[in-house]
Amino acid sequence: MKKGEFWAPVCASCGRRAWPPSQLCPQCLSKTSLKKVETTGTLLEFTSSHVKGKEGVFGVIEMSGIRLIGSFVSDQLKEGMKVRMTKCGVRPDGTAFYAFAPAGD
Amino acid sequence: MPLLELACEPCADMLKSGISRNEIDAVLFSSCATEQYSSTIISEMLGIRPKVSHRIDSLCNSGTNAVASAFSMIASGLCDMALVVGAEKANSPGNRLLWDITRGSFMFPVHWAAIFAKAHMRKYGTTEAQMAKVSVKNHKNAAKNPLALFRKQVSLNEVMNSKKIADPVKLLDCSAPCDGASAVLLVSEEKAKKMDKPVWIKGIGQQTNSASFAKAAGDLTAIEAARRAARVAFEMSQTKPLQVEVAELHDAFTILEILAYEDLGFVKKGEGGKFVDQQEIAINPRGGIIGCGHPVGTTGVAQVAEVASQLAGKAGKRQVKGCRTGLVHNLAAAGSSATIIIMGA
Repeated sequence: MKKGEFWAPVCASCGRRAWPPSQLCPQCLSKTSLKKVETTGTLLEFTSSHVKGKEGVFGVIEMSGIRLIGSFVSDQLKEGMKVRMTKCGVRPDGTAFYAFAPAGD
Repeated sequence: MPLLELACEPCADMLKSGISRNEIDAVLFSSCATEQYSSTIISEMLGIRPKVSHRIDSLCNSGTNAVASAFSMIASGLCDMALVVGAEKANSPGNRLLWDITRGSFMFPVHWAAIFAKAHMRKYGTTEAQMAKVSVKNHKNAAKNPLALFRKQVSLNEVMNSKKIADPVKLLDCSAPCDGASAVLLVSEEKAKKMDKPVWIKGIGQQTNSASFAKAAGDLTAIEAARRAARVAFEMSQTKPLQVEVAELHDAFTILEILAYEDLGFVKKGEGGKFVDQQEIAINPRGGIIGCGHPVGTTGVAQVAEVASQLAGKAGKRQVKGCRTGLVHNLAAAGSSATIIIMGA
């Protein structure tokens, strides 16, 4: 993720994602390895944050079994719409960020 | 005051009131602070030499986890008298779960609280005013509690106009971290019968769904771990939800109290918003987390202490008259785990 690409641990045995990341597959307990994963998904809920340094629209996205909270620039959003990840990375303070946009944009 | 001294305060009061130190065979410390050997140091500072002393950490529901552990030790016969103490400083590492990168940049508890609130409003028509009423009620109760963090009442208007944090959650919909300590003593049945006004633990239910927000539950309009835990607790205690007369519910945010009404079965799913105005069950008589503050590891212990005081008739100005069945509802990390304790007079 530091390079701006979303890779997640995928199980060598059963193919499931270990998310949040883990070297152990929680389903079958085999080892996982990092793979690039599909980053389009569905927007479940969204709202606006006014917290200093974290202002803006954010929402819960589900993409192929991975659920996370991402940010949006647009507020032209609707629950259930298809969305895609536009950017991701790790900030200097070690926190992750995931930016999304409506899939059509 | 340093953490360990803070932890000793309620214990010292308890010991000075006549509890025999020699009989205490477990000292369990509930806290998210990571000082080494903390529980044992507390035992030493209090002049207690128990069989068992260790720290229990389950973030915001550490307290009820510690009480459940004490219960288990006594029920198994490993000990007869367990001192459970919770203590936390305002800047505790327990205020944030750093590992959970599923939350991205929006890692403060208020962010998941806003998502739960928006989801519930959208699906069931719950209103911001209903959420605000939870805050008004809990602040009103806290005003009668000399140990509460906030002693001032707030009006509905003040809550509705308070600073927006993450829509629809406003400042007065939120609890605040603070310094705090609380202690309870659990004893075996044999010892309890020799003591003044013992209160009984009738049922315990616990459920740990996940550590991450991502895997806590499918449905964003319910705390699934609390639903499961409550079913077990009611079954174990052979009670029904509406037999509960007094309860301390996990109101770290006002929406969580509304969800609790539904998850505990006081009302059907979706009806939580309307239940805020009810008068049948005394909810959060100490002021809840909103009124008392949220010293993370202390909260569960303080909730149990309040319900125990109420059932023993020792709650003074806050006394809920004639209550005989009480409940504690304690959550952790976006409701990823939950503990429910049912108590009886």
